[in-house]
Amino acid sequence: MSDPRVNASSDPTADPTADTTADPAEVRAVLRLAQPPVRRFAPGLAAGVLSALFAVALLASSAWLITRAAEQPPIMFLSMAVVGVRAFALGRSAFRYLERLAGHDAAFRQLADLRLGVFARILPLAPAGLGGTSRGDLLSRLVRDVDDLQDFPLRVVQPLATAGILATLSVFGVWLVLPAAGLTLALSLLAGGLLAALASTVLSARSERRLAPLRGTLAGEVLEVVENLDVLTAFGALDARLAGLATADDRLRRAALRRSLGVGVQGAVLSLFAGLATVGALWVGIPALSGPVGISGPGFAVVVLVPMAVFEVFGMIPLALGVWRQVRSSAARVASAVPTVVPVEIPVEPAEAGISVTSALSARPVLELTNVGARWPGSRALAVSGVTLRLAPGDRVHLAGPSGAGKTTLAQTLVRFLDYTGSYRLDGVEARTLAPAEVRGRVGLCEQRPWLFDDSIRQNLLFARETATDGDLLAVLDRVGLGEWAAQRGGLDARVGERGALVSGGQAQRIALARALLADFPVLIVDEPTANVDEAQGERLVRDILVTARQDGRAVLLISHTPVPDDLITARVVVPGPVIRPADPAS
Amino acid sequence: MRPFDPRLLRYASAARWFLSVGALLGLAQTVIVIAFSWLLSQSITLAVTGASQTDLASTTAALAGVVVVRAALVWLLEVAATRGAAQVKSQLRRQVLERVSERGPDWLSIRASAGVSTLVTQGLDALDNYFARYLPQLLLAGISTPLLILVMLWQDLPSGITVIVVLPFIPVFMVLIGQATQSVQRRQWESLQRLSTGFLDLVGGLGTLKIYGRDRRQFARVRTITEDYRARTMKVLRVSFLSGFVLELVASLSVALVAVSIGLRLVDGSLALGVGLFVLLLAPEAFLPVRQVGAQFHAAADGLAAAEEVFAILDETETETETETETETETATGAAPAEPRAASTPAAAPAGRGHADAGALRFEHVSIRRGTDAPVHDFSAVFRPGELTVVVGPSGAGKSTLVAALQGFIPFDGRILLNGVEQTPGTPRPWLAWAGQRPGLFQGTIADNLALGDASVDRGTVTRSLECAGADDLDPATMLGVAGEGLSGGQAQRVAAARALYRAETHDCAVVVLDEPSSALDEAAEGTLVAGLHRLATRGRIVIVVSHRPALRDAADQIVALSEVAHV
Repeated sequence: MSDPRVNASSDPTADPTADTTADPAEVRAVLRLAQPPVRRFAPGLAAGVLSALFAVALLASSAWLITRAAEQPPIMFLSMAVVGVRAFALGRSAFRYLERLAGHDAAFRQLADLRLGVFARILPLAPAGLGGTSRGDLLSRLVRDVDDLQDFPLRVVQPLATAGILATLSVFGVWLVLPAAGLTLALSLLAGGLLAALASTVLSARSERRLAPLRGTLAGEVLEVVENLDVLTAFGALDARLAGLATADDRLRRAALRRSLGVGVQGAVLSLFAGLATVGALWVGIPALSGPVGISGPGFAVVVLVPMAVFEVFGMIPLALGVWRQVRSSAARVASAVPTVVPVEIPVEPAEAGISVTSALSARPVLELTNVGARWPGSRALAVSGVTLRLAPGDRVHLAGPSGAGKTTLAQTLVRFLDYTGSYRLDGVEARTLAPAEVRGRVGLCEQRPWLFDDSIRQNLLFARETATDGDLLAVLDRVGLGEWAAQRGGLDARVGERGALVSGGQAQRIALARALLADFPVLIVDEPTANVDEAQGERLVRDILVTARQDGRAVLLISHTPVPDDLITARVVVPGPVIRPADPAS
Repeated sequence: MRPFDPRLLRYASAARWFLSVGALLGLAQTVIVIAFSWLLSQSITLAVTGASQTDLASTTAALAGVVVVRAALVWLLEVAATRGAAQVKSQLRRQVLERVSERGPDWLSIRASAGVSTLVTQGLDALDNYFARYLPQLLLAGISTPLLILVMLWQDLPSGITVIVVLPFIPVFMVLIGQATQSVQRRQWESLQRLSTGFLDLVGGLGTLKIYGRDRRQFARVRTITEDYRARTMKVLRVSFLSGFVLELVASLSVALVAVSIGLRLVDGSLALGVGLFVLLLAPEAFLPVRQVGAQFHAAADGLAAAEEVFAILDETETETETETETETETATGAAPAEPRAASTPAAAPAGRGHADAGALRFEHVSIRRGTDAPVHDFSAVFRPGELTVVVGPSGAGKSTLVAALQGFIPFDGRILLNGVEQTPGTPRPWLAWAGQRPGLFQGTIADNLALGDASVDRGTVTRSLECAGADDLDPATMLGVAGEGLSGGQAQRVAAARALYRAETHDCAVVVLDEPSSALDEAAEGTLVAGLHRLATRGRIVIVVSHRPALRDAADQIVALSEVAHV
């Protein structure tokens, strides 16, 4: 057990029940993020209801007009109906346009709030609390799922509300003409709606629940193949891997086919009940034509034909129910990927936890560790333990230790991405009582795998010190040995590519170092700076870091498995590894 | 954008299947619509003129029968559409991945990996809408609409003529929809892709942003990105919805025109009620598929845009030069060729040393051009069995490019010969075991990772290889997450090196190449690795290590130095 994260990182997509275990209250909270407020939502809904009503009214008034005309009345008795037919035809299209425009605009405006809401939940967890989510899964979860939540107001709430309101109004209207026909319509709508919902639950919900994780698995597989194409080709494993991918593809396709049967049944059920409602209205209407209560011929035509128009609007329901299930499992996955309850291993900002911050730190604090240990969320074992060291202004300490001993874990702990056991004091103040952001204001980290944003070199540096001029940026690039390189690439505007694809590993490391130097942290943790940098430059780099630190009085904790010249450092500490290995000769 | 891209039929046989099945079902549906409308209008007419329930019993029963058949057809068409979509997506996905694997890592490296994987997963899923909601309606518009108009013409000429007069507006508006949405739709797809990487970029870099205290400021950026997305999309939607609006208006108004005209002719007695009702019921049905095509167009266009991007990958010709110029526009290098460089050391001696070269790997005047840049120029060297060669040189000196050429991933000038046999780009390298700078591990156990490409795992060799790479502290049964998650950087690197050693042993590879295998190793682990590499070499293999570590350099039998890139 060299790294407890091995345990914590079991693939979440492998568990088919993952999205059903999310707390319903959390799922509702995510869905609330997606639903626009009433004032933004109401205009679209009103336009939708009017458009649907006009569609029904167009058929009703046309039917009335024709049947009444067949009785050959004076033409003036028809003029109202003629006007109505034309007005309903115009109004129906106009309101439909307004509905779609207003509905989409509201949903898109809500997307910003939705993304921000999700982002706010990610924020306290990152980066240590997101370790269990692989990159391919992150991609599918936080982009696709969040974007899919947009369908909630647009393709679930809106059509269901429209269909419900229209059905109620139509049943009432038909009931006024002929109560028995109103009753058959109401019964058909109820039975059709319930059966369609039942069909969808029984037939397709289960396979749909399987669909999202299968998609996640496929996305992970695709990403592994696409990103490691060189490895797979070199090892002759590509064909086998593509075959494995085909299997994942097959499973997804089969689940999709099962789902198709369910969706189809819902549509068929509604079509069936639309027909039955028409036949039923016909059947109860015929005796009423000659009966004591009595309806006119035109009235009869209206009650027979209106159910068709109502069911046409009702046809949106199967689609909306299908989208609803997708939206709900997306919401569940968002809720479980970014829980609102931050794991205990991750320190929270006092503003979020209600802790009051007691002290302000000096500009150059003394950092002291006594028997510090740390663990990753979801793991019981400590990834690093028993670290004791002191780092005063001007100190330059080399932290050595075998690979897997938890050196990087310690680095993450010192910038308060992870909580600790033992004692970690800045100026004698226990770090736990300080806001993590305040600690990070003094203690900076140069990560082992620096993240470069898909932007220009300038933007990748500037966020470290926003007031920096181009001159400052070029100077710091010079200092980390990138001056010439940046000039060759066309200066600060050169792009670094997606995840730094256009720069080499060593160059990425240097850009990250340049950022750390720009931010001018009084205490700087440098995690394996010479990995992927050639030896001569690596030595120069380490020398630059340590010499400038000496000049600036900056305290540096240099984490490196490679030896560091004794004249550059003030102390050397070895992290005790969890596995017994030969002692590092450098110590 | 065309409403239908014929390349769909070429690349996805399932699309052909769906079109034939869908056409049959569409035809059946049209017949059923006509039967339903005729039976219903007859029933209403007879009832109004005094028929009783018993008179109408058989008509009503027939109507109920038609209703049942109609429901079955609705079901079948939807099942066919969903099946078609699932099959087509799967066919296209496999072809893209096959093509990507044929074109190789070098071709792929110029494309954002997230872009390609988004395209074949999320992008292609947009085809669901295209198949489920758009294509069936397109079929019905081609089959049902003309048939229904013919029936109307036969039953009531003026109504049929009204529809025929109005109908030409629809292709006009279809063209308008096509033109107006074409460019904007494509922009939306691109912005979706940008957003997909943009939001991920932000979340992935959140740790870095936190270190610099910039995490909370990203709220504004998220809002800006999303607002930009909304503004872009609404611009598209206003146009595409407007076309849809005109389309619906034409359909509704023609129903109104037909209804009013029938009404007026009924008043003067020139038309029978039954015919009037029949035509009134057919008129909206004739326009329904056309309206649906318009309404679903914007939903379908996303899928079609993704499909077109897939077709672009599948269509792409085999010329390498195009892709290379694309990459190089980013780096803005000078056009002047690089200075001749490389190769001091004994190995750079002229070729042709007779029998001493038996089994040797020989580079003869190898030059590699990347657009206007030439990272490797006129490189010659000989690597002999039984020797450990260390390749040194500063960053950017073309060390990894040279390895990629050896692997056959990139084209080069000059020759690479193994035991006198020329090795051309793009051919398999069964004689080569390699570990790259990136570990490139996979989901599965460490043992599975070592035996990559093999059907079975040889436990003994796994243990030996891990030991040899200084990774014997790792349990071979440890499960790794997607992309080898769960190991530290150094651990992953040692496993990757062990994987190359495992392959060298199980496949008896003549050449072993490790690219920076020890950059994340401590000295003890590095010592173990060096000893292991020596053992490999003494067993008659050619061992090449790209490294700048002194321990490896000291252990080398031969050192090949690549000089700094000569930039002008």
